[in-house]
Amino acid sequence: MIQFKDLSYSYPDGHAAIKKVNLEIKDGESIALVGANGAGKSSLFKLIVGISDIGEGSIEVDGIPVEKKTLKDIRRNVGMVFQNPDDQLFMTKVYDDVAFGPRNELLSEGEVETRVNQALEVLGITHLKDRMPHRLSGGEKRIIAIASVLSMEPNIILFDEPTSFLDPKARRNVMETLGKLEMTKIIATHDLDMALDICDRVIVLHHGSVFADGSVKEILLNEELLLNCHLELPLCMQRCKTCNA
Amino acid sequence: MSALTDSMNTIHSLEEMAEAKTIIHRLHPMVKLVTTFLYIILVVSFDPYNVTGLVVFLFYPVILMALAEIPYKPLLKRLLVALPFSFFAGISNIFYNQNLAFMLGNIPITYGVISFFSIMIKTVFTVMGVLILIATTPLPQISYQLLAIKVPKIIVEQIMLTYRYISVLLEQVSNMYTAYILRAPDAKGIKMKDMGIFFGQLLLKSFDRAENIYFAMKCRGYDGHYLYAKPDPIKKSDWIFMLSTCAMLILLRFFNLSQFIGSFL
Repeated sequence: MIQFKDLSYSYPDGHAAIKKVNLEIKDGESIALVGANGAGKSSLFKLIVGISDIGEGSIEVDGIPVEKKTLKDIRRNVGMVFQNPDDQLFMTKVYDDVAFGPRNELLSEGEVETRVNQALEVLGITHLKDRMPHRLSGGEKRIIAIASVLSMEPNIILFDEPTSFLDPKARRNVMETLGKLEMTKIIATHDLDMALDICDRVIVLHHGSVFADGSVKEILLNEELLLNCHLELPLCMQRCKTCNA
Repeated sequence: MSALTDSMNTIHSLEEMAEAKTIIHRLHPMVKLVTTFLYIILVVSFDPYNVTGLVVFLFYPVILMALAEIPYKPLLKRLLVALPFSFFAGISNIFYNQNLAFMLGNIPITYGVISFFSIMIKTVFTVMGVLILIATTPLPQISYQLLAIKVPKIIVEQIMLTYRYISVLLEQVSNMYTAYILRAPDAKGIKMKDMGIFFGQLLLKSFDRAENIYFAMKCRGYDGHYLYAKPDPIKKSDWIFMLSTCAMLILLRFFNLSQFIGSFL
């Protein structure tokens, strides 16, 4: 479970990125964190994994407060898939990238291999094991980035724009992959169709504050609310521009 | 820009080479580190005018490359990057030290010329030594061994992350250059007036990317200790390689083999 209590954070230039956020995320939930650019989605993620320092308030992950001395435990528990997979993949082989986390946990090479194989198998990318990450397609890189976090067996995974810059097939593939994962998922996204497909709760951030929080239907069918936050109805819920049906 | 792509591929190819399983790759990383260090120290310690003694040290990289089955081309390409620095550092010797050392036919060879060649040869040998180490040992293992011999963690991290970020920097240059040239089709490169802004932006963007990569590593438990790269204990064969190579290197340093062979001619 993740608890945010009166959480606030400002950039070094003083601009407030997160303002008094109070939230509770339960185990196993699949949450879409939506909002316009600059609404504070990525900043919130960075605060959860301790990349940015909390200004005011607190975050607790399974009862452990996010602070310098607990970061190791927090990061073992919470995985983060970055928006740009090139930021995440840097080894010469896919295997080594997926093994990077388990190796840092100082597991034996046998255990590392088991973890890597499991992660690759769950995502159906065992055939990419010996490939070089920088020579793969964007969609493949995205899935490998997910595998590199999955191999750490976290209870919670944060996904930062997992479907951005992907062609429709790769996007569908990533969505199916996310749907398969059973742990708590928080997905920062503009892709509201994906949110509709695989999430059960939506949190709308607007100017760093929680503007709305509710079930997928409550939020994603509320056109007025979405427009107020510089968003729009999921494409599948919009009228056809040709026949207006 | 194909040159940049080539450079990126060369960096990756060196790391790929380290995954091979030849006799040299299987050696304990500490053994390779120690012999490389000794080799560099001995090469650098040569008198600037003792080129004949120095040349014999070519045997070390040549034999190692053959045993490790390392192709010459990518290594020589990277070597070329280091040469201009030594060239400009050494060229002044030719002008400042014009004392005659000997005559080669009708051509006078000065001590300045000898020391220039000495600097160039030393650069080639030492850079080759390091490149061979990288091409035969995975980077985390090198880092672990550097920490084991008490090189400060901050320095090891600097070395490793700098190496990591070379490809990030090249990729960034490539993207920015492409974006620039597409909007300035007549330009033959970056115009002088845009140079400052280009490199300023490059610095900022590379810094951002490097920071993100570092964060992604931290999120997956990276703490700079490379404990997972702890190798098996040193074996008897490793000791034999290390002692025999070190003995050979020391012998060559203090016994001028070239002169010895020359004395029979």
